[in-house]
Amino acid sequence: MTETFGRMHVDVAPTGELRLSGSIDETAALPALVSRAHGGQLVIDLAGVSFINSLGVRDWIRMQQAAQQAHIAVELRRVSEPLVHQLNMIVATRGDARVSSFYAPYACDACGREDSLLLDAIAYGDRLARLDPPPQTCSECGAQMAFNDFPERYFSFLANG
Amino acid sequence: MRDSSILIVHPDRKTQRTVQRILGATGRRIDVADELEQAARILPHITPLLVVIDAALATTPAADALLASAQRKGARACLALLGGAFDHVPRIIGTGAVTNLLVHPMPVLAEELMISAQKLVRDDLFGAEKYLLWGTELEIAMVTRASQRAQIVSQLAEAVRARGQSARVASMAMLLADELISNAVHNAPVDASGTHYRRETARDGELELDERHQVRLRWGVDARYLAIEVNDRFGSMNRETIVRSLGKSDMRESGGGAGMGMTLCYRSCDHLVFNLAPGKRTEIIALVDVRHPPAERVPASSYNVFVERAS
Repeated sequence: MTETFGRMHVDVAPTGELRLSGSIDETAALPALVSRAHGGQLVIDLAGVSFINSLGVRDWIRMQQAAQQAHIAVELRRVSEPLVHQLNMIVATRGDARVSSFYAPYACDACGREDSLLLDAIAYGDRLARLDPPPQTCSECGAQMAFNDFPERYFSFLANG
Repeated sequence: MRDSSILIVHPDRKTQRTVQRILGATGRRIDVADELEQAARILPHITPLLVVIDAALATTPAADALLASAQRKGARACLALLGGAFDHVPRIIGTGAVTNLLVHPMPVLAEELMISAQKLVRDDLFGAEKYLLWGTELEIAMVTRASQRAQIVSQLAEAVRARGQSARVASMAMLLADELISNAVHNAPVDASGTHYRRETARDGELELDERHQVRLRWGVDARYLAIEVNDRFGSMNRETIVRSLGKSDMRESGGGAGMGMTLCYRSCDHLVFNLAPGKRTEIIALVDVRHPPAERVPASSYNVFVERAS
């Protein structure tokens, strides 16, 4: 069942994982999500989050702080690009959360297609630490796609502080 | 003012020549100095309208004195050019004297330099069309109720996508429009005593906006820039506050929310332009480079703060 908080929607997977989608803004009430943790863990899937503004960022930081105070481990899965940008710009948004996967921008030199592609932060951990994004294949023309941002800027959130 | 000139202070001869050729198009006399001491010797003999300075020189103490003198002689702006060492941007903004910064991967960005100079020369500051190719259609949306913000921002994203722009550009458009509209609805309104009486109003509450409080959004995209322009009818922003907010060095550690919106806008776009008519009108234009992929763009943003001449 989908719950709605302002312009943000929350679905709960059978595993207890929270799937957020929509916009995170002044109406989101994120800190309340901490009470949904299971066994000291809060797993949040963020693939569907398309927008976060400065007031949403404030709420996000409050959620991270609430989780820290309650000694709850937060895992972020499939973090969308708008959220990655905020994690990179504002260190406080990272809290103690562990990012297991995230979306990253890729572009195809051959056909010009741009995509947001999912990267496994654990499987590619060593490469990402070396700021060496894995190559991807263009779904349209089959050519190799290149990472489409500055690695030192886009992957800085993985350093977690 | 017709006799006023443009003073270029830059150590690189090639850049000097390029800038001189670009700004020569304004029809103004151009004076050139290799370094600050030479500029200080020239200054008593000229009436500069604009000082264009190498960003590295602008952060030195001698530059403060030069720019203060130029300002006393009527210079309306200091425009710094930054072609490298982009991580120095906070230090450059921190000087407080640099009211305009153009970052550029090439020797010089001719269009931005020319637009900045002409806005000052002609005292014609307002309008996003100055940054877009001739003929680019600008769409307009009026915000007449505070609650319209989310819907307008969402429609903007769809329209940007419909013009062939990427999801990344649409996402940036959403963020910029949301923050700028929010600023115009909640931060701009000011009473006669200078109190920003809607600053603490809940952002998720409803507000009917009368004619003076209504906010105008215009946007357009010309395959080079996406321009998001937001206007209010208060003109309550000032140069010092703006430069301070752009230069917030604690952005990475700060919390979100109040006061962070403008800093977030600056970090999220490629060029942020403030056009100020004190007590009358504020216009903020955010430009997103849609021509180059992120990996080919400069990892820093330009800004301009223009103040309309008192009539």
